[in-house]
Order: sequence, then C-alpha cells, then structure tokens
Amino acid sequence: MTSVAERPAGRTASGLSARARAISELTGRDRAVRAVLFVAALVPTAALAFLVYEMIKQAYPAIIFNGWSFFTTKKFTMGNLYGNVVVKHGYQAAQGADFGVLPLLFGTLVSSLIALVLAVPVAVGGAILLVEKVPARLQGALGVFLELLAGIPSIVFGLWGIYTFGPLLSRTVYRWIAALGIPWLSGSTGAGEGLLTASVVLAVMIIPIVASIARELVRSVPAVSKEGAVALGLTPTETIRFVTIPYVRTGLIAAAVLGWARALGETIAVLVISGDALNIYPHSIFDPFSTMAATIAAFLDSALTDSTGMAIHALAEVGLVLLAVTFLTNLGGRLLARRFSDAGLPVGRGV
Amino acid sequence: MPEPSTQVSYSRPVPEAGGAAQAAPEVVDAVFDIADLNFWYGANRALRDVSLRIGRQEITALIGPSGCGKTTFLRCLNRMNDLLPDTRIEGRLDFDGEPLYRPGVQAIEIRRRIGMVFQKPNPFPKSIYDNVAIAPKVNGMKVNLDDLVEESLSRAALWNEVKDKLKQSAFSLSGGQQQRLCIARTIAVKPEVILMDEPCSALDPLATIRIEELMTELKSDYTIVIVTHNMQQAARVSDRTAFFTVEDHPEGRSGVLVESGPTHKIFTAPSDQRTDDYITGRFG
Ligand SMILES: Nc1ncnc2c1ncn2[C@@H]1O[C@H](COP(=O)(O)OP(=O)(O)OP(=O)(O)O)[C@@H](O)[C@H]1O
Ligand SMILES: [Mg+2]
Repeated sequence: MTSVAERPAGRTASGLSARARAISELTGRDRAVRAVLFVAALVPTAALAFLVYEMIKQAYPAIIFNGWSFFTTKKFTMGNLYGNVVVKHGYQAAQGADFGVLPLLFGTLVSSLIALVLAVPVAVGGAILLVEKVPARLQGALGVFLELLAGIPSIVFGLWGIYTFGPLLSRTVYRWIAALGIPWLSGSTGAGEGLLTASVVLAVMIIPIVASIARELVRSVPAVSKEGAVALGLTPTETIRFVTIPYVRTGLIAAAVLGWARALGETIAVLVISGDALNIYPHSIFDPFSTMAATIAAFLDSALTDSTGMAIHALAEVGLVLLAVTFLTNLGGRLLARRFSDAGLPVGRGV
Repeated sequence: MPEPSTQVSYSRPVPEAGGAAQAAPEVVDAVFDIADLNFWYGANRALRDVSLRIGRQEITALIGPSGCGKTTFLRCLNRMNDLLPDTRIEGRLDFDGEPLYRPGVQAIEIRRRIGMVFQKPNPFPKSIYDNVAIAPKVNGMKVNLDDLVEESLSRAALWNEVKDKLKQSAFSLSGGQQQRLCIARTIAVKPEVILMDEPCSALDPLATIRIEELMTELKSDYTIVIVTHNMQQAARVSDRTAFFTVEDHPEGRSGVLVESGPTHKIFTAPSDQRTDDYITGRFG
C-alpha cells in the first residue's frame, strides 16, 4: 500500500500524497453523484407535493361546503346550473347542488377488487405456466403478446367491452351465474354494461401488468431450489406450491398493488362500460355503477359551466379521495409485503 | 491394516483405520448395479461405459477432476437428469435388483427412496419446521410430524440449535446449518439411499467435520454416495472410492470410470497410474 502511495506522490506538486488526493477526488465525485441523486429523488417528490397541494387548494371550498355529508350522501348532483345560487358556510353553489362520494368510492373499490381477484390468479398461473411449461422459443412470442396487450389504449378496451365482450357475457355466462340465485349475483343481467363487465375488462387490462412482473419473478427462482423439491419426490405442482410461490410471494404482492392502482385510476374504459349510474348503489353485480375517476371525467365538461365554481371544487374533492385511496392501497401493499419479507424470505430477490 | 506397498507421497491422504479399512475387496450386497452406463447431453457423451456396484450401507466416494461426469453420474441414480431436455441414457442401472429406467418406474416414487443433498444448501423458502415436514406430509407418510421433525433434526445434529425457533425462516440459519437442515429434510422421507454432491464445498472446516461425522453416523441405516473434490474427505469418510476422469475420444471428451475399490486400496495402492497422479496431486 505504501509503495502505491509513494510512486505517484513524487509527481504530485501540491505535496499531497496520491492516496490522500485519490480520497478527496473520490469524495468530490461522490458528492457530485450524491447531488445528482438528490435532485433526481427530489423532482418526483416535489411534483407529488405540488399536486397534492393544488388538489387540496381546488377542493377546499367543496370540503367546507359539503362537510361530512360528502361521506354520507348517496347523491352526486351539481344542481341547477342555470337557477339560483345558494350560500352555505360562506361558499356559493348552484341550487340543489349535493355532492356525495360514497357510491363512487364503493364503485371504485368494488370494481377494482373484483378485477384484482380475477386478474391475479390468471396472471400468476399464466406466468408460472409460461416459465415452467412453455418451450423457450414460444415464451418470447407470448411475452411480446403480453406487452402488446399492455399497450392497447383503454378506450379500445372500453369499446370492446361495451359492444362485444359485455353483450356476449351477459347472454351467456351472466345468465348462468344469475340462474344460481345467489344474492348479489342474481337479477337482470342487462345488456352487458355494469359492474361485472367493467371489472372483467379491468381485469383484462391489469393481467399484462401483473403477469409480466410475475413472469420475471418466477424466472428468478433458483433452479437448485426447485431441484431440492424434486429430489424429495415432490410433484411439479407441489414444487410450485412449496418453492416457486413462497419465493415470489412478496414480489407478487407488489405486482398486485401495481395492478390495483391501475384499476383504481382507470377512467375511460370504466366510463364507457359502467352504465354510468349515479346516486345509487348497485343492487347486483350486473347493475350499472360508477367510479370516482369515471365520474370526474363524465362531469368535467358541465362542471366548467358552473358559475359558482363549486362543481369543479367538488370534483377536485373526489379526486382527492381517489388520491388518498391509491395512496392507502399502496401503503397497505407495502406493509403486507414487509410482513412477508420479515420472515426473512428471499422472496422476489432471488438468493 | 496392510502396509502401503507403493512409495507413499507425503501428500497422499491415508484413510483412517475405521470402516474404510474393513471394506471387502468386492461389493457383496449392491444397492446399485451399474454396467456400461452411457449418458449423452445432446450429442455430447458425458459418461462412457461406466460399470460400478454400490454397496448397501456403505459410503461410496466419487472423485475425479472437474467435468469428468461425477454430478452427471450421481444424478442418473435418482433420475434427476429426467428433467433435462435432450438427454439420453443407455446401459444397465439396477436399483435393488430392478432396472431404474424401465418404463413404468415412477421417477417421483424413486426420488422418495433415493434422496439427494446438493452442493449449495437449498432449503425451501419456508420455516425450519416446514422444511422437514412438507415432504413427509405431501407424500402421505402416516407419522406424527412433530416427532418426525425432531427425530430428523436430531439425526442431522441440528435439533439443539433450532429447537426454539422452528417457526423461523430456514434462511435465518447459517450455511452449515442450512446444509444440515437439507440433510434432515432428506432423511425425514426415510430414503434408502442419500446422494450427496459436494455437500461441504460451501462450508467452513468445522461445519464440514460435523457433516462428515453425520455421514459416518447415518451409514448404519443408509447407503451414501458422495461426490467430493476433497481427497482428505474421501479418505476420511468413505468405504469405497470410484475415480472418474475425462478421456479424449474421436467423437469428443467423455467421462470414464478409471477404477473403483475399497478406499484404502484406491488411496494407497491404486492400479491405474492416473488414479495415483490425481490422488497425490500430480494431476493438472
Ligand atoms: N445440463 C447440462 N447440459 C449439457 N452439458 C452438461 C450439463 N451438465 C453437465 N454437462 C457437461 O457434462 C460434463 C460432465 O459434467 P459434470 O457436471 O457431471 O462434471 P463433474 O464431474 O460434476 O464436474 P465438477 O467437479 O466441476 O462438478 C461436462 O463436460 C459438462 O460440460
Ligand atoms: Mg459436479
């Protein structure tokens, strides 16, 4: 070590040993890297903070105007935009304006959860099949197909859902389900719009997201771990159950949360398929409903014509709730993932 | 113990006067009876005409330079190579007098009777308890699982270290402990044979000694076949040794069995010069 320090030291005019200089150079570069990383980390954080601030600012009049009734009323109506103006808590609104988020919150949560329940097993099962059973040459082609599926614009999914897939389902599968007479799963199956169709289409939309992450996770399971199970005389299915799934569990939770966030925020496809029901809770899984995101999109145009501005404020408040829900699901997913990885499993990380 | 007849190089590991010296010149009761075994990876013939008998309740060491087909040979014995696409096996391989590769023989069934411990510890991503209990449970063994777990962990000399944390993840254990856990999970399914592929290569000397002691202990109930690069280890624990090497043939390089016999004989009076060169460290 000394010799290394001495040799270049002769060439150093400043009298600093090369070693000392190397350290200061390193820390200099280190500092630069750190500064860049800091800025890089700051930008999204600042953008998010700014967004939340703007949303709260926009929603504030509605928060005061609506009070708690925002979370108790079923109705969501902008009132008579051409009628009188009423004043409540110091804020103006169109007469008859009444804003309640509950049915929308319900619609958002239920549709996204049904979508998740449908999508995750299909995506994970598909990913495992793809990795374990499909020959390598076909795997690439199927992977491209998944990516293409993920890239289809959501309006296409919406139109497909309302004109093709929904009617088909309602003529066939929905009839069979309804015939079972299970509460919530019976009644008129409609023309194919409504909660279940929207959920199924959402599921189709999030399958590629979850499946492509799941595929990478399943691929990362070390072969030697699977061989350990095979060498004990476990069947391929048992090997998947006791090795592959436990290995990828934490990663799968993260993938599911990502898919869930996509379903929560999906706007246009749901708007097209939902049947656009306002002010009611669906009475069966086939009923029309609406979500927060779809309602914001549906109302935005006419809300802009509200001279009191309250309609826009109310939509901002809905947006704020959507933001909060997305944030909470993300947090919940993280906690769940942490709980699993607390067990010390190298899940999703390989070994 | 007969005096070594050849001049003994100082680097020649001398087997201890344990079981090693007592091995009969020929295998009397063979668990595996292998004759003219050939194995191909695609067009590459990895094993050429291997003939070997593996004695019941003996420890057989497979030694030889890297790439000579020890792992390939070992994995033929529990049909692990079945998993690899584009491979072919030919020749006789009888297990307990029955052809192992006869159509109709269930590989899954075979692997329950022939356990395997790998080079790298590979516990399930599950609790310590589950690691031992899963296979007996799904195999439908009619036993008290708690007792079986304790018994298996005790036999693997791990019970005292883990008895208070059975619910913890197997990954919380050290490498040596994980390897003993893998041995415990292998003996939990009560196999007849345990195959070990360099089980100590990832372990420190102390952990290695523990596993070696364990093997000597398990010998009373199990047949053990171990691949090792550690000549001292082969000399210390095995009753019989089989020396493999790579030979060049017109169609490519293949692994061949040079000679096999009681460990004491192989290490002190090998009949083939290549064996002597390898054992005394004059090889590559
Ligand atoms: N899965 C495989 N596919 C193709 N060839 C393989 C495969 N596994 C091993 N081989 C080849 O077969 C030959 C024997 O390999 P094997 O792993 O059995 O040797 P080994 O004696 O166990 O070596 P080592 O001491 O390094 O573990 C080598 O030439 C190797 O390249
Ligand atoms: Mg090997």
